[in-house]
Amino acid sequence: MTDLAVEVEGLTKIFSIPFRKQSITAVRDLNLRIETGEVYGLLGPNGSGKSTTLKIILGLVSPTSGRTEIFGQDSSQVATRQSVGFLPENPYFYKFLTGTETLRFFGKLCGLRGWDLKDRVQELLDLVGLTEARNQRLGTYSKGMLQRIGLAQALINEPALIVLDEPTAGVDPAGSHEIRNLIVDFKKRGVTVLLSSHLLEQVQEICDRIGILAKGKLVREGPLQELIAIEDRTELVLENASDKLMKDIEKLATKAKATVIERRRSTTTLERLFLKVTSDQNRND
Amino acid sequence: MTEQISTVAKYRRFSPWRVLALATNALVELARQKVFYVLLIFALILIGSSVLMARFAFQQEFQILKDVSLGAMSLFTSILAIVATARLIPQDLEDRTLYTILAKPVPRYEYILGKLFGALLLLAISIAVMAALFAAILYLREQSVLDQTWRQMRSGPPGQVDDALSTIRASGLNSDIFVGVTVIFLKASLLAALTLFISTFATTNIFTVVVMVVVYFIAHLQPVAREYWLQQAHAGWISRGFLALVALIFPDLQAFNLVDDIVAGVAIPMAIFTKTLLLGIFYIVIYTMAAIFVFYGKEL
Amino acid sequence: MTRALITLGIILGFGILKLPAERSLAQEHRDWHLADLDLNLTLREKIGQVGFVAALSGFRAMLADILFIQAEAAWERTEWGRVLFLFRQVTALQPHVPLFWDMAAWHMAWNASAAAMNNPKQPRQALRIKAQREYFTIGKDFLERGIKNNPRNPKLYESLAMLYRDKYNDHARASEFFRKAADCPGAPSYDKRFSGYELSYCEGWEPQAYIQLRRLYDEGEQERLPTLIKRLKYLETKLNIPPSQRIPDQVK
Repeated sequence: MTDLAVEVEGLTKIFSIPFRKQSITAVRDLNLRIETGEVYGLLGPNGSGKSTTLKIILGLVSPTSGRTEIFGQDSSQVATRQSVGFLPENPYFYKFLTGTETLRFFGKLCGLRGWDLKDRVQELLDLVGLTEARNQRLGTYSKGMLQRIGLAQALINEPALIVLDEPTAGVDPAGSHEIRNLIVDFKKRGVTVLLSSHLLEQVQEICDRIGILAKGKLVREGPLQELIAIEDRTELVLENASDKLMKDIEKLATKAKATVIERRRSTTTLERLFLKVTSDQNRND
Repeated sequence: MTEQISTVAKYRRFSPWRVLALATNALVELARQKVFYVLLIFALILIGSSVLMARFAFQQEFQILKDVSLGAMSLFTSILAIVATARLIPQDLEDRTLYTILAKPVPRYEYILGKLFGALLLLAISIAVMAALFAAILYLREQSVLDQTWRQMRSGPPGQVDDALSTIRASGLNSDIFVGVTVIFLKASLLAALTLFISTFATTNIFTVVVMVVVYFIAHLQPVAREYWLQQAHAGWISRGFLALVALIFPDLQAFNLVDDIVAGVAIPMAIFTKTLLLGIFYIVIYTMAAIFVFYGKEL
Repeated sequence: MTRALITLGIILGFGILKLPAERSLAQEHRDWHLADLDLNLTLREKIGQVGFVAALSGFRAMLADILFIQAEAAWERTEWGRVLFLFRQVTALQPHVPLFWDMAAWHMAWNASAAAMNNPKQPRQALRIKAQREYFTIGKDFLERGIKNNPRNPKLYESLAMLYRDKYNDHARASEFFRKAADCPGAPSYDKRFSGYELSYCEGWEPQAYIQLRRLYDEGEQERLPTLIKRLKYLETKLNIPPSQRIPDQVK
């Protein structure tokens, strides 16, 4: 039981609009289990209930029915937040504070003081690569920098669970690549990550398990690789293969009653090309 | 790292440090508002311009100086209390900083307390600055008039000179003025707490400010409503019910208008000052608790 | 919705709790004459709607000051009707400021009355005197109401005494009010002397006046001012005080 970082059972949330008969059901009888140390992606289109679910898990919104637990404790209790870090969607923070001041503020809210606070702030600024910008006001930060400072404040109290709501939305490819690297880093340290996104290709590379929400219901869940694997197809990637070899393989396949669906040159992703080209340009300058 | 609870810091149910962090943050945020500087400078100009009243006899001059200064302090802190506090919570919601703060181990009531104390700090600092300027001007003018008078009457009989000097001192700087400043602060704090309460359920900033302006005026009529309700037995039950609602819901802001009488030179008895202080604190506590209660149910 | 109702309930509940505290505080205010300003319709009539709102909002003092400055300006233009009108408002707003009552009385009983007496537009002397006396009465009324609102302020009694002395030639009343002024805390030292002087001008009151002035003389050097000595000597002669009890002649 305590191996579960997050457990959601029978969660339902109905928003009632005052003075109108209709109500909106944001989340419908949701069940989720997130194991300690895994990266879980909660996916779905806009309006599918992802943000609402995350907010309920964090105790920011109260459920209509059902329960949510973090590390075995009821997540509506404030005490559970000592071990959780949250990066909300499109955060702004306080524009008039510098990077350092922002982290100090959140650190104090978590009970950090004095030298501990100072060291931690420095450590996190280094981690997210904002050391140079640490004395600039957040009003001057780019979107990517804001996301990174957001990530830093989420980590300020060394949480065992990090919740990220659309961590790469609106961030340029370089920035989002860095964020993804950070997430992989968290995983290496044993931190559980729960993230929500609708940018599917980006999260494909980092999530262990995913859940797909549509109109408030969990329609699919499971380990990523299993879900996206096309069952009866295999890919074989070769380097320096001659034409003759290729023809032999095709003949073998047909003999074994397999079908060659497609043969093509491997491609990189557009994202990798972009990153390579832009970083080369940066080096030449 | 497989520990469940972070080893960095233990969670404490109530932490004054958290509240302090929230309060200083609110203070910095508010102090950056342009409206704060505009109001403060305007108030300082108003107080300073009363020096131009030197054309009157000293009693009138001191009278006007006190009236204008205390009136300016009262007016501007009332406005500041409402306008500054109204935007605290909506701004956090809009910037989504509210989520990041409440996702930390911060109980909602501490958040409200932090905002309130930040606003109170702002008011205290403003009043201190204005009171310092006012006291300095009054003291300097008083010294100047004392000096002038002593020089004019130097050859006169000592009894008369003492009489004249003590008359001047009586109209000048005295301790009751600082009682007045404290009461002004108390009234502004009350307005801040009430504004914070309204802002917990108001939909927009403007709504809060407009409601508070209306509340301000009605609250000055509360004592009238209260006495009419409790004394007029023959009025219809609808009007009595309405008066009862006004009397119960609104604070008695007239009780904090000691300023007028302080300026008139009437000494405020300690008993009244203490009771006013306690009543003011009581109001602040009620409205803060109401704000916390509403905030706990707020969907974010 | 329920939360809203509960919140309203909380506020109403505390409202009931705060009522006795508010009432007792208001009562204490009344007892100390701090707030017997009746916020009712007659006041509203007196100062108009804006003034009413300003008064309620606690800016009575500033409003009174503004009106006071306007009254002074009207005085400079010798618009006596306006001066009276404005001072009525000023004293209604700030009844606990003795200065306002005093200035009002001064403008009426000294300035306006003089203007009425010397009014070139009024050829009939009888009517001019009548107008002058009316202004005396208005001035006296201001001082009396001022005293009612500020019973411990010496200046108002003093001004009333001077009014009786200078305008009505009523030395008896002048003496009485100088004495009342002298009884107030913070009264200047000349009030008791003036009371004695005035008494000494009253026919048939010489013995009492002598006792009063002699007592002051005996208090010491600070009371032995020229006028006191002059009046004392006059009374000694009038009352045939035996030489052994008389005050020594002044050695200059």
